[in-house]
Amino acid sequence: MGTQQRDFAEFYRETRNECLLAILVSVGDRDIAQDLAAEAFARAWASWPTVSRHPAPAAWVVRTALNAGVSRWRRRHRETPVPNPALVADRPSAGPGSSVDPAIMAALLRLPLRQRQVVALRLFLDLDTARTAQVLGIAPGTVQAHLGRALATLRGELSPIRQQEARS
Amino acid sequence: MNDSELITVLREQRDKVPMTTPVEHVISRGRAVRTRRRVSGVAAVAGAATAVAVGVALALPASHPPTRPGAQLAAWTVVRQGGGGVRVTINELRDPAGLQARLRADGVPVSVTFSGHPNPACSGYSGEGDQRQRRHRLGSVVTGPVSPRHAMIIHPGALPSGAGLQIFSSFRHYPGQRGGFAVAVSLVQASQRCTGS
Repeated sequence: MGTQQRDFAEFYRETRNECLLAILVSVGDRDIAQDLAAEAFARAWASWPTVSRHPAPAAWVVRTALNAGVSRWRRRHRETPVPNPALVADRPSAGPGSSVDPAIMAALLRLPLRQRQVVALRLFLDLDTARTAQVLGIAPGTVQAHLGRALATLRGELSPIRQQEARS
Repeated sequence: MNDSELITVLREQRDKVPMTTPVEHVISRGRAVRTRRRVSGVAAVAGAATAVAVGVALALPASHPPTRPGAQLAAWTVVRQGGGGVRVTINELRDPAGLQARLRADGVPVSVTFSGHPNPACSGYSGEGDQRQRRHRLGSVVTGPVSPRHAMIIHPGALPSGAGLQIFSSFRHYPGQRGGFAVAVSLVQASQRCTGS
């Protein structure tokens, strides 16, 4: 195994789970998130001399995965007439095999997409505000506003559950 | 629960979703991506001249600017076609109100939401036969693309009386196929609150 491959394997081992979770909270489906993550990591390996010098390679992977998700959506949405939109929209979506606390995942998935993406990059990938803003193409102040709103919403939803768990 | 405790709880979730794809598979797939790039790079040079020539001949469609500076695609585009069709291309899930207004101006009674949920003011179209027949009707109102970049063509003239369309985003499974980012289209009862008329 060459040096590049060893470097990439170490990067993969260290970041794969947090990247997967970051993608999962954006797409809401475990299998799709894993497919997108694998594809994004593969593209990272295909361009590893460049990606390894990126200031935040894990963010590059997540951004690439989300872009791939949009491409997948473009290909598939043409064939998805929905018989009952309300049932589809309200369906639980973390998916089987996810061991994330279901209450936390449900609360995350109820956030607006941009807030979820900010939570994923700031908290799961530990990016700072400036880097998060760069990855998402928004202003740093907007990142802070989204994070503040997301945390307030999550606290409001999760605090009663935690208190109930503590009592029982 | 304060912010610090909440952030700790959220970060604890990171190792609870294990990525199970072996690194060998990722590297193997990466090699295939590299090979494909080498091949497509040669083809792209040949295709560029053709693309420029075609682009000059196209009418400028109504569109919304892209999110990120430097991005080449508009968030969405709407182009009226001969025969009453309206071609809609959605590149980003942005500005649903703008898309809705544009489509209504082009004669499509429609509700557009990109929030991950359908418009609660809309109710499913209940006229004209059973669900299978209504789905068949939807297939004549919304047809497939004429090229991979054209997402759908709406034919307002094919809408049943009293019906409109609902376009909304979803991040869900669909029966019989895997989901992901998806835009769903369904027939709804036309009403002022749902489709604007």
